[in-house]
Amino acid sequence: MPILENAFEENLLTTKVDWLLNWAKLNSVWPMTFGLACCAIEMMAVGAAHHDLDRFGAGAFRATPRQADLMIVAGTVNFKMAERIKRLYDQMPHPKYVIAMGACATGGGPYFKFGYTVVKGVDRVVPVDVYIAGCPPRPEALLEGLMALQRKIRATAVIRKPAITV
Amino acid sequence: MDFQGIYDRLKEQGAAGMQEANLPRLPDPADKKDKGRGGDPYVLVDPAQICAFMDLAKKDERLHFEILADLSASDPAVDAENFWVIYQLLSVKHRHRLMVKCSIPKSDPRIDTISGINRAAGWHERECSEMFGITFNGHPDPRNILLPDDWVGFPLRKDYEFPKEYQGISCI
Repeated sequence: MPILENAFEENLLTTKVDWLLNWAKLNSVWPMTFGLACCAIEMMAVGAAHHDLDRFGAGAFRATPRQADLMIVAGTVNFKMAERIKRLYDQMPHPKYVIAMGACATGGGPYFKFGYTVVKGVDRVVPVDVYIAGCPPRPEALLEGLMALQRKIRATAVIRKPAITV
Repeated sequence: MDFQGIYDRLKEQGAAGMQEANLPRLPDPADKKDKGRGGDPYVLVDPAQICAFMDLAKKDERLHFEILADLSASDPAVDAENFWVIYQLLSVKHRHRLMVKCSIPKSDPRIDTISGINRAAGWHERECSEMFGITFNGHPDPRNILLPDDWVGFPLRKDYEFPKEYQGISCI
């Protein structure tokens, strides 16, 4: 970086530990490569060049839960899948977050009444941080959801008790 | 061949267990009272002889139904006494199709598997089996294909009651 080269001498940077930790966490929320239904198509669109999820540091879709911080539940969850989702969630290292993307993952969606094998919301299986409405949500909605998650992470505190709860 | 041709050929070859056929036709313009006959063309086959029928339909030179396009079942109503098992046959060689129906009693829903004749039937029969509780005699691999192994009930039956919970997850 030629502009920054030699611009600083050996310096001190003062900051708050919470701020630094949160800054690092919220700018590298790596999602898990994991799609269940049509919402996953929108999720792929968000990951691709036009919407570019990587702007938020969340574009590195990991192929294993052990490297992932975020599980985007993009699609319909049925009982057979719920067991797997629980297991994948348990395999993710802390800190871990879950986004319920779309109507199905939020509350069963169009399968609420007659979907005999559909879990009526993924929050009955794993704890959810952010819900996104839509069927499927627009890519912008997923970005908004991710930003909401980032706001949530920003408000967390490791050292002291949180001043605000989001 | 059109349906009439297929039907005649089946009769000519003495197809096993063929009971009746639905031949849709337009109303006769000369006869005001004639309303014609609606629906899709199908042949009704005795479920006990379905294997022999399918074997003939596949091996006969003029029929040559080499593909089983679909196999499904149907529960017509809560108070109906029978299930339908419906086979869709397709001949790519002769470019014709045939719908075959079997009627089996709800009290004892059993029918012979045709997966020995059309291997495509294997997975369809597994699906019918878990959705309607129909037993396919002699099926080589009668496990569930879609539902979990410990699922209770047959979801596509008309009198199916939705589960209240499954493995601790509430369904309401």
